[in-house]
Amino acid sequence: MYRQGDVLIMALEESAVPAHLLEAPGELRDARGRLVLALGEVTGHAHAVPGPGRLIREGGVFGPMLLHLPEGGRVVHEEHATIPLPQGWFRVVRQREYAPGAVRIVAD
Amino acid sequence: MQYVDSWRAVAAATGAADRAAAEDGVRLAYRAAGLAGPEEIVWADSPRAAVEAVAGLADAGRSVRDEVRTRPWAEERRRVYDALGPAGWSALWSATGAQLWETTAGLAERIRAGVVADLGGDPDAESRVRLLLLDAVLGQHDAAWLAAFDGRGDRLDGLAAVARNAGWWWPYERVAVISERPQVLRRDEAGRLDRGDGPALSYPDGFALYAWRGMPVPPDFLDELSALTPRRIRTEENAELRRVMLEYYGYDRYLTESGAEPVHRDETGILWRIALAGDEDVVMVEVVNSTPEPDGTHRTYWLRVPPTTRTARAGVAWTFGLSGETYAPLRQT
Repeated sequence: MYRQGDVLIMALEESAVPAHLLEAPGELRDARGRLVLALGEVTGHAHAVPGPGRLIREGGVFGPMLLHLPEGGRVVHEEHATIPLPQGWFRVVRQREYAPGAVRIVAD
Repeated sequence: MQYVDSWRAVAAATGAADRAAAEDGVRLAYRAAGLAGPEEIVWADSPRAAVEAVAGLADAGRSVRDEVRTRPWAEERRRVYDALGPAGWSALWSATGAQLWETTAGLAERIRAGVVADLGGDPDAESRVRLLLLDAVLGQHDAAWLAAFDGRGDRLDGLAAVARNAGWWWPYERVAVISERPQVLRRDEAGRLDRGDGPALSYPDGFALYAWRGMPVPPDFLDELSALTPRRIRTEENAELRRVMLEYYGYDRYLTESGAEPVHRDETGILWRIALAGDEDVVMVEVVNSTPEPDGTHRTYWLRVPPTTRTARAGVAWTFGLSGETYAPLRQT
Protein backbone atom coordinates (compact mmCIF):
# COMPACT_ATOMS: atom_id res chain seq x y z
CA MET A 1 0.00 0.00 0.00
CA TYR A 2 1.46 3.34 -1.12
CA ARG A 3 0.16 6.83 -0.76
CA GLN A 4 1.05 9.89 -2.79
CA GLY A 5 -0.98 12.88 -1.61
CA ASP A 6 -4.65 12.20 -2.27
CA VAL A 7 -4.04 8.94 -4.15
CA LEU A 8 -3.72 5.51 -2.52
CA ILE A 9 -2.20 2.61 -4.46
CA MET A 10 -2.90 -0.88 -3.10
CA ALA A 11 -1.17 -4.03 -4.34
CA LEU A 12 -3.62 -6.60 -5.61
CA GLU A 13 -3.13 -10.34 -6.26
CA GLU A 14 -3.61 -11.09 -9.95
CA SER A 15 -6.18 -13.71 -8.94
CA ALA A 16 -8.25 -10.91 -7.38
CA VAL A 17 -8.47 -8.99 -10.66
CA PRO A 18 -11.86 -9.57 -12.32
CA ALA A 19 -11.32 -11.85 -15.35
CA HIS A 20 -12.90 -9.42 -17.81
CA LEU A 21 -10.45 -6.71 -16.79
CA LEU A 22 -7.25 -8.77 -17.20
CA GLU A 23 -7.12 -7.99 -20.92
CA ALA A 24 -9.36 -4.90 -20.92
CA PRO A 25 -8.17 -1.96 -23.02
CA GLY A 26 -6.28 0.59 -20.97
CA GLU A 27 -6.62 4.34 -20.64
CA LEU A 28 -4.81 6.46 -23.21
CA ARG A 29 -1.62 8.19 -22.11
CA ASP A 30 -1.38 11.96 -21.79
CA ALA A 31 0.57 14.21 -24.16
CA ARG A 32 3.75 13.40 -22.18
CA GLY A 33 3.20 9.66 -22.63
CA ARG A 34 2.19 9.03 -19.02
CA LEU A 35 -0.66 7.11 -17.40
CA VAL A 36 -2.56 9.69 -15.37
CA LEU A 37 -3.95 8.35 -12.08
CA ALA A 38 -5.41 11.71 -11.03
CA LEU A 39 -5.24 15.18 -12.52
CA GLY A 40 -5.60 18.54 -10.79
CA GLU A 41 -8.20 20.41 -12.84
CA VAL A 42 -6.65 23.83 -12.35
CA THR A 43 -2.90 23.38 -11.82
CA GLY A 44 -2.66 20.48 -14.27
CA HIS A 45 -0.44 18.70 -11.73
CA ALA A 46 -0.86 14.96 -12.08
CA HIS A 47 -0.21 11.76 -10.18
CA ALA A 48 1.20 9.80 -13.12
CA VAL A 49 3.13 6.68 -14.14
CA PRO A 50 5.65 7.40 -16.91
CA GLY A 51 6.87 3.88 -17.82
CA PRO A 52 5.33 0.75 -19.31
CA GLY A 53 2.03 -0.43 -17.88
CA ARG A 54 -1.70 -0.18 -18.26
CA LEU A 55 -4.39 1.72 -16.39
CA ILE A 56 -7.92 0.32 -16.45
CA ARG A 57 -10.81 2.46 -15.34
CA GLU A 58 -13.56 0.47 -13.66
CA GLY A 59 -16.06 3.05 -12.59
CA GLY A 60 -16.69 6.79 -12.74
CA VAL A 61 -14.35 9.64 -13.41
CA PHE A 62 -12.60 9.33 -10.05
CA GLY A 63 -12.08 5.59 -10.13
CA PRO A 64 -11.65 3.06 -8.81
CA MET A 65 -8.96 2.13 -11.28
CA LEU A 66 -6.67 -0.82 -11.73
CA LEU A 67 -3.00 -0.34 -12.58
CA HIS A 68 -0.93 -3.14 -14.11
CA LEU A 69 2.84 -2.74 -14.06
CA PRO A 70 4.36 -5.88 -15.63
CA GLU A 71 7.87 -4.51 -15.08
CA GLY A 72 7.29 -2.37 -12.00
CA GLY A 73 7.41 1.41 -12.26
CA ARG A 74 7.10 4.66 -10.35
CA VAL A 75 4.47 7.27 -9.56
CA VAL A 76 5.49 10.87 -10.04
CA HIS A 77 3.87 14.20 -9.11
CA GLU A 78 4.99 17.82 -9.38
CA GLU A 79 4.74 18.37 -5.61
CA HIS A 80 5.26 14.94 -4.05
CA ALA A 81 8.28 12.67 -3.91
CA THR A 82 8.37 9.84 -6.47
CA ILE A 83 7.25 6.42 -5.23
CA PRO A 84 8.77 3.29 -6.80
CA LEU A 85 6.33 0.40 -7.27
CA PRO A 86 7.11 -3.32 -7.65
CA GLN A 87 5.73 -5.26 -10.62
CA GLY A 88 2.14 -6.47 -10.37
CA TRP A 89 -1.44 -5.27 -10.15
CA PHE A 90 -2.68 -2.36 -8.05
CA ARG A 91 -5.95 -0.74 -7.14
CA VAL A 92 -5.82 3.07 -7.31
CA VAL A 93 -8.16 4.99 -4.99
CA ARG A 94 -8.68 8.76 -4.90
CA GLN A 95 -9.12 10.31 -1.48
CA ARG A 96 -12.60 11.51 -0.56
CA GLU A 97 -14.04 13.76 2.10
CA TYR A 98 -17.28 13.52 4.00
CA ALA A 99 -19.93 16.15 3.54
CA PRO A 100 -23.39 15.75 5.07
CA GLY A 101 -25.60 14.29 2.36
CA ALA A 102 -22.74 13.86 -0.09
CA VAL A 103 -19.18 12.68 -0.43
CA ARG A 104 -16.68 14.70 -2.38
CA ILE A 105 -13.23 14.00 -3.65
CA VAL A 106 -10.20 15.71 -2.20
CA ALA A 107 -8.00 17.93 -4.31
CA ASP A 108 -4.50 18.30 -2.90
CA MET B 1 -5.49 12.31 -24.56
CA GLN B 2 -4.09 15.32 -26.41
CA TYR B 3 -7.66 16.01 -27.57
CA VAL B 4 -8.92 15.92 -24.02
CA ASP B 5 -6.44 18.54 -22.89
CA SER B 6 -7.38 20.95 -25.66
CA TRP B 7 -11.11 20.44 -24.99
CA ARG B 8 -10.52 20.84 -21.28
CA ALA B 9 -9.15 24.29 -22.13
CA VAL B 10 -12.15 25.03 -24.38
CA ALA B 11 -14.58 24.16 -21.57
CA ALA B 12 -12.77 26.53 -19.20
CA ALA B 13 -12.11 29.31 -21.74
CA THR B 14 -13.00 32.87 -20.73
CA GLY B 15 -12.82 36.20 -22.53
CA ALA B 16 -14.34 37.77 -25.59
CA ALA B 17 -15.61 35.48 -28.31
CA ASP B 18 -14.02 35.44 -31.74
CA ARG B 19 -17.29 36.49 -33.32
CA ALA B 20 -16.29 36.02 -36.96
CA ALA B 21 -14.95 32.50 -36.30
CA ALA B 22 -18.01 31.56 -34.24
CA GLU B 23 -20.39 32.85 -36.93
CA ASP B 24 -18.50 30.86 -39.57
CA GLY B 25 -18.92 27.81 -37.33
CA VAL B 26 -22.65 28.42 -37.02
CA ARG B 27 -23.05 28.67 -40.81
CA LEU B 28 -20.96 25.54 -41.30
CA ALA B 29 -23.12 23.64 -38.80
CA TYR B 30 -26.29 24.71 -40.64
CA ARG B 31 -24.80 23.71 -44.01
CA ALA B 32 -23.73 20.32 -42.64
CA ALA B 33 -27.34 19.81 -41.56
CA GLY B 34 -28.61 20.67 -45.05
CA LEU B 35 -30.04 24.02 -43.94
CA ALA B 36 -29.71 27.40 -45.58
CA GLY B 37 -28.16 29.11 -42.59
CA PRO B 38 -29.51 31.90 -40.42
CA GLU B 39 -30.41 35.20 -42.08
CA GLU B 40 -29.43 37.00 -38.92
CA ILE B 41 -27.00 36.32 -36.07
CA VAL B 42 -27.69 38.05 -32.75
CA TRP B 43 -25.02 38.32 -30.04
CA ALA B 44 -25.80 38.38 -26.32
CA ASP B 45 -23.45 39.05 -23.41
CA SER B 46 -24.48 36.01 -21.34
CA PRO B 47 -26.73 32.94 -21.48
CA ARG B 48 -29.25 34.96 -19.48
CA ALA B 49 -29.20 37.80 -22.01
CA ALA B 50 -29.39 35.22 -24.80
CA VAL B 51 -32.56 33.71 -23.30
CA GLU B 52 -34.05 37.21 -23.12
CA ALA B 53 -33.02 37.84 -26.73
CA VAL B 54 -34.54 34.55 -27.86
CA ALA B 55 -37.77 35.33 -26.00
CA GLY B 56 -37.96 38.63 -27.87
CA LEU B 57 -37.42 37.21 -31.37
CA ALA B 58 -40.44 37.96 -33.55
CA ASP B 59 -39.98 35.70 -36.53
CA ALA B 60 -37.07 33.34 -35.92
CA GLY B 61 -38.73 30.19 -37.23
CA ARG B 62 -38.61 26.86 -35.43
CA SER B 63 -35.66 25.58 -33.41
CA VAL B 64 -33.27 23.60 -35.59
CA ARG B 65 -31.24 22.28 -32.68
CA ASP B 66 -32.12 18.69 -33.56
CA GLU B 67 -30.89 18.99 -37.14
CA VAL B 68 -27.84 21.09 -36.29
CA ARG B 69 -26.64 19.30 -33.19
CA THR B 70 -28.56 16.31 -31.91
CA ARG B 71 -28.95 14.28 -35.10
CA PRO B 72 -25.37 14.69 -36.39
CA TRP B 73 -24.11 13.81 -32.92
CA ALA B 74 -26.24 10.70 -32.67
CA GLU B 75 -25.15 9.61 -36.13
CA GLU B 76 -21.48 10.22 -35.39
CA ARG B 77 -21.82 8.27 -32.19
CA ARG B 78 -23.44 5.39 -34.06
CA ARG B 79 -20.73 5.46 -36.73
CA VAL B 80 -17.86 5.49 -34.23
CA TYR B 81 -19.58 2.87 -32.08
CA ASP B 82 -20.04 0.55 -35.06
CA ALA B 83 -16.40 1.02 -36.04
CA LEU B 84 -14.98 0.46 -32.56
CA GLY B 85 -17.46 -1.99 -31.02
CA PRO B 86 -18.91 -1.69 -27.51
CA ALA B 87 -15.58 -2.14 -25.69
CA GLY B 88 -13.77 0.22 -28.06
CA TRP B 89 -16.45 2.90 -27.71
CA SER B 90 -16.39 2.55 -23.96
CA ALA B 91 -12.59 2.88 -23.93
CA LEU B 92 -12.76 5.94 -26.20
CA TRP B 93 -15.40 7.63 -24.04
CA SER B 94 -13.54 6.89 -20.84
CA ALA B 95 -10.32 8.34 -22.33
CA THR B 96 -12.02 11.46 -23.67
CA GLY B 97 -15.51 12.63 -22.79
CA ALA B 98 -15.70 10.97 -19.38
CA GLN B 99 -12.69 13.03 -18.24
CA LEU B 100 -14.57 16.26 -18.82
CA TRP B 101 -18.13 15.18 -18.22
CA GLU B 102 -18.52 15.76 -14.53
CA THR B 103 -17.06 19.25 -14.37
CA THR B 104 -18.65 20.62 -17.56
CA ALA B 105 -22.08 19.03 -17.05
CA GLY B 106 -22.06 20.35 -13.48
CA LEU B 107 -21.12 23.84 -14.62
CA ALA B 108 -23.78 23.88 -17.35
CA GLU B 109 -26.41 22.84 -14.83
CA ARG B 110 -25.35 25.64 -12.49
CA ILE B 111 -25.61 28.18 -15.31
CA ARG B 112 -29.09 26.89 -16.22
CA ALA B 113 -30.17 27.16 -12.60
CA GLY B 114 -28.74 30.68 -12.41
CA VAL B 115 -30.62 31.81 -15.54
CA VAL B 116 -33.85 30.29 -14.22
CA ALA B 117 -33.35 31.96 -10.83
CA ASP B 118 -32.73 35.35 -12.47
CA LEU B 119 -35.51 35.27 -15.07
CA GLY B 120 -37.97 32.76 -13.63
CA GLY B 121 -40.11 34.86 -11.29
CA ASP B 122 -43.40 32.96 -11.19
CA PRO B 123 -43.96 29.29 -12.21
CA ASP B 124 -45.18 30.23 -15.72
CA ALA B 125 -42.15 32.38 -16.42
CA GLU B 126 -39.95 29.64 -15.03
CA SER B 127 -41.32 27.03 -17.46
CA ARG B 128 -40.90 29.45 -20.36
CA VAL B 129 -37.25 30.02 -19.42
CA ARG B 130 -36.65 26.28 -19.00
CA LEU B 131 -38.13 25.60 -22.44
CA LEU B 132 -35.89 28.21 -24.06
CA LEU B 133 -32.87 26.70 -22.29
CA LEU B 134 -33.76 23.35 -23.88
CA ASP B 135 -33.15 24.93 -27.31
CA ALA B 136 -29.57 25.85 -26.39
CA VAL B 137 -26.49 24.26 -27.87
CA LEU B 138 -23.93 24.43 -25.08
CA GLY B 139 -20.94 25.44 -27.20
CA GLN B 140 -17.82 25.33 -25.04
CA HIS B 141 -19.68 23.25 -22.46
CA ASP B 142 -20.32 20.51 -25.01
CA ALA B 143 -16.56 19.88 -24.77
CA ALA B 144 -16.95 16.34 -23.42
CA TRP B 145 -18.82 15.09 -26.49
CA LEU B 146 -16.73 17.09 -28.91
CA ALA B 147 -13.55 15.62 -27.36
CA ALA B 148 -14.86 12.11 -27.98
CA PHE B 149 -15.47 12.79 -31.69
CA ASP B 150 -12.40 14.97 -32.33
CA GLY B 151 -10.15 13.65 -35.08
CA ARG B 152 -12.74 11.14 -36.32
CA GLY B 153 -14.40 13.04 -39.15
CA ASP B 154 -15.43 16.51 -40.24
CA ARG B 155 -19.18 16.29 -39.71
CA LEU B 156 -19.11 18.17 -36.40
CA ASP B 157 -16.56 20.80 -37.46
CA GLY B 158 -19.13 23.61 -37.36
CA LEU B 159 -20.23 22.74 -33.82
CA ALA B 160 -16.59 22.44 -32.75
CA ALA B 161 -15.74 25.83 -34.26
CA VAL B 162 -18.53 27.58 -32.34
CA ALA B 163 -17.49 25.78 -29.15
CA ARG B 164 -13.88 26.93 -29.55
CA ASN B 165 -14.84 30.55 -30.14
CA ALA B 166 -18.01 31.38 -28.18
CA GLY B 167 -20.40 30.33 -25.45
CA TRP B 168 -23.89 28.83 -25.63
CA TRP B 169 -25.97 29.36 -28.78
CA TRP B 170 -29.51 28.97 -30.02
CA PRO B 171 -30.10 27.85 -33.62
CA TYR B 172 -33.46 28.75 -35.20
CA GLU B 173 -34.46 28.59 -38.85
CA ARG B 174 -33.89 32.25 -39.60
CA VAL B 175 -31.94 33.53 -36.60
CA ALA B 176 -29.09 32.25 -34.46
CA VAL B 177 -28.44 33.77 -31.03
CA ILE B 178 -24.91 33.37 -29.64
CA SER B 179 -23.72 34.15 -26.13
CA GLU B 180 -20.34 35.50 -25.16
CA ARG B 181 -18.14 33.34 -22.92
CA PRO B 182 -17.66 34.14 -19.24
CA GLN B 183 -15.19 36.87 -18.28
CA VAL B 184 -14.35 35.14 -15.03
CA LEU B 185 -14.29 31.45 -14.16
CA ARG B 186 -12.70 30.49 -10.85
CA ARG B 187 -12.60 26.87 -9.81
CA ASP B 188 -10.79 24.81 -7.20
CA GLU B 189 -8.50 21.89 -7.98
CA ALA B 190 -11.47 19.55 -8.28
CA GLY B 191 -13.02 21.80 -10.91
CA ARG B 192 -15.81 23.11 -8.66
CA LEU B 193 -16.84 26.78 -8.77
CA ASP B 194 -14.91 28.44 -5.97
CA ARG B 195 -14.19 32.03 -4.99
CA GLY B 196 -14.26 33.80 -1.67
CA ASP B 197 -14.05 37.44 -2.79
CA GLY B 198 -16.35 37.79 -5.78
CA PRO B 199 -18.30 35.84 -8.37
CA ALA B 200 -16.85 32.45 -9.30
CA LEU B 201 -18.42 32.82 -12.73
CA SER B 202 -19.37 36.08 -14.39
CA TYR B 203 -20.32 37.31 -17.85
CA PRO B 204 -19.76 40.75 -19.40
CA ASP B 205 -23.33 41.90 -18.61
CA GLY B 206 -23.04 41.08 -14.90
CA PHE B 207 -24.79 37.72 -14.93
CA ALA B 208 -22.87 35.86 -12.22
CA LEU B 209 -22.78 32.83 -9.96
CA TYR B 210 -21.27 32.83 -6.48
CA ALA B 211 -19.88 29.65 -4.95
CA TRP B 212 -17.45 28.47 -2.34
CA ARG B 213 -15.83 25.12 -3.10
CA GLY B 214 -18.70 24.24 -5.37
CA MET B 215 -21.44 25.23 -2.95
CA PRO B 216 -23.77 28.00 -4.22
CA VAL B 217 -23.86 31.00 -1.87
CA PRO B 218 -25.77 34.30 -1.98
CA PRO B 219 -23.61 37.21 -3.29
CA ASP B 220 -23.79 39.25 -0.07
CA PHE B 221 -22.81 36.18 1.97
CA LEU B 222 -19.21 36.54 0.80
CA ASP B 223 -18.92 40.07 2.22
CA GLU B 224 -19.64 38.66 5.63
CA LEU B 225 -16.96 35.98 5.46
CA SER B 226 -14.07 38.31 6.19
CA ALA B 227 -15.63 39.33 9.53
CA LEU B 228 -16.60 35.89 10.85
CA THR B 229 -16.40 34.90 14.50
CA PRO B 230 -16.83 31.44 16.05
CA ARG B 231 -20.03 32.75 17.66
CA ARG B 232 -21.45 33.88 14.31
CA ILE B 233 -20.65 30.46 12.85
CA ARG B 234 -22.36 28.66 15.75
CA THR B 235 -25.49 30.77 15.39
CA GLU B 236 -25.88 30.38 11.61
CA GLU B 237 -29.03 28.31 11.17
CA ASN B 238 -28.49 27.19 7.58
CA ALA B 239 -26.28 24.10 7.84
CA GLU B 240 -24.83 24.50 4.34
CA LEU B 241 -23.88 28.13 4.84
CA ARG B 242 -22.42 27.23 8.24
CA ARG B 243 -20.28 24.61 6.53
CA VAL B 244 -19.02 27.24 4.09
CA MET B 245 -18.32 29.59 7.01
CA LEU B 246 -16.34 26.87 8.79
CA GLU B 247 -14.31 26.08 5.72
CA TYR B 248 -13.63 29.74 5.03
CA TYR B 249 -12.78 30.57 8.62
CA GLY B 250 -10.50 27.55 8.80
CA TYR B 251 -11.21 24.46 10.88
CA ASP B 252 -7.89 24.88 12.64
CA ARG B 253 -8.67 28.45 13.72
CA TYR B 254 -12.15 27.47 14.75
CA LEU B 255 -10.84 24.52 16.75
CA THR B 256 -8.34 26.73 18.56
CA GLU B 257 -10.70 29.63 19.26
CA SER B 258 -13.64 27.51 20.29
CA GLY B 259 -11.47 25.53 22.70
CA ALA B 260 -12.14 22.17 21.04
CA GLU B 261 -10.24 19.18 22.42
CA PRO B 262 -8.88 16.39 20.26
CA VAL B 263 -10.82 13.14 20.78
CA HIS B 264 -8.17 10.74 19.54
CA ARG B 265 -4.59 10.75 18.41
CA ASP B 266 -2.45 8.09 16.73
CA GLU B 267 0.41 7.83 14.21
CA THR B 268 -1.90 8.72 11.27
CA GLY B 269 -3.13 12.00 12.76
CA ILE B 270 -5.51 13.64 15.22
CA LEU B 271 -9.29 13.29 15.37
CA TRP B 272 -11.36 16.36 16.30
CA ARG B 273 -15.05 16.74 17.02
CA ILE B 274 -17.12 19.93 17.05
CA ALA B 275 -20.65 19.66 18.39
CA LEU B 276 -23.14 21.90 16.60
CA ALA B 277 -26.61 22.61 17.92
CA GLY B 278 -29.33 21.14 15.72
CA ASP B 279 -26.88 19.52 13.30
CA GLU B 280 -24.64 16.49 13.19
CA ASP B 281 -21.20 16.86 14.74
CA VAL B 282 -18.34 17.94 12.56
CA VAL B 283 -15.67 15.25 12.86
CA MET B 284 -12.31 15.81 11.22
CA VAL B 285 -8.96 14.16 10.96
CA GLU B 286 -5.95 16.43 11.13
CA VAL B 287 -3.15 15.01 9.03
CA VAL B 288 0.30 16.25 8.13
CA ASN B 289 1.33 16.27 4.49
CA SER B 290 4.25 13.86 4.11
CA THR B 291 6.05 15.94 1.51
CA PRO B 292 7.65 19.09 2.94
CA GLU B 293 6.77 22.46 1.44
CA PRO B 294 9.61 24.35 -0.34
CA ASP B 295 10.47 26.07 2.97
CA GLY B 296 10.89 22.72 4.74
CA THR B 297 7.71 22.90 6.81
CA HIS B 298 4.97 20.28 6.58
CA ARG B 299 1.49 21.46 5.68
CA THR B 300 -1.25 20.35 8.05
CA TYR B 301 -4.71 19.81 6.64
CA TRP B 302 -8.13 18.72 7.80
CA LEU B 303 -10.47 16.25 6.19
CA ARG B 304 -14.06 15.89 7.27
CA VAL B 305 -15.09 12.28 7.97
CA PRO B 306 -18.40 10.67 9.01
CA PRO B 307 -19.59 11.61 12.51
CA THR B 308 -19.44 7.95 13.58
CA THR B 309 -15.62 7.92 13.25
CA ARG B 310 -13.87 7.02 16.54
CA THR B 311 -10.14 7.04 15.78
CA ALA B 312 -7.79 9.09 13.63
CA ARG B 313 -6.68 5.96 11.78
CA ALA B 314 -10.29 4.97 11.01
CA GLY B 315 -10.86 8.53 9.73
CA VAL B 316 -7.89 8.55 7.37
CA ALA B 317 -8.76 5.00 6.23
CA TRP B 318 -12.36 6.11 5.51
CA THR B 319 -11.11 8.81 3.15
CA PHE B 320 -9.77 5.99 0.98
CA GLY B 321 -12.78 3.71 1.43
CA LEU B 322 -10.94 1.37 3.84
CA SER B 323 -11.38 0.24 7.42
CA GLY B 324 -8.88 1.30 10.08
CA GLU B 325 -7.47 -2.25 10.30
CA THR B 326 -6.66 -2.48 6.59
CA TYR B 327 -5.10 0.97 6.15
CA ALA B 328 -1.31 0.66 6.33
CA PRO B 329 0.77 2.48 3.71
CA LEU B 330 4.32 1.20 3.34
CA ARG B 331 5.37 4.52 2.01
CA GLN B 332 3.77 7.93 1.68
CA THR B 333 4.89 11.14 0.03
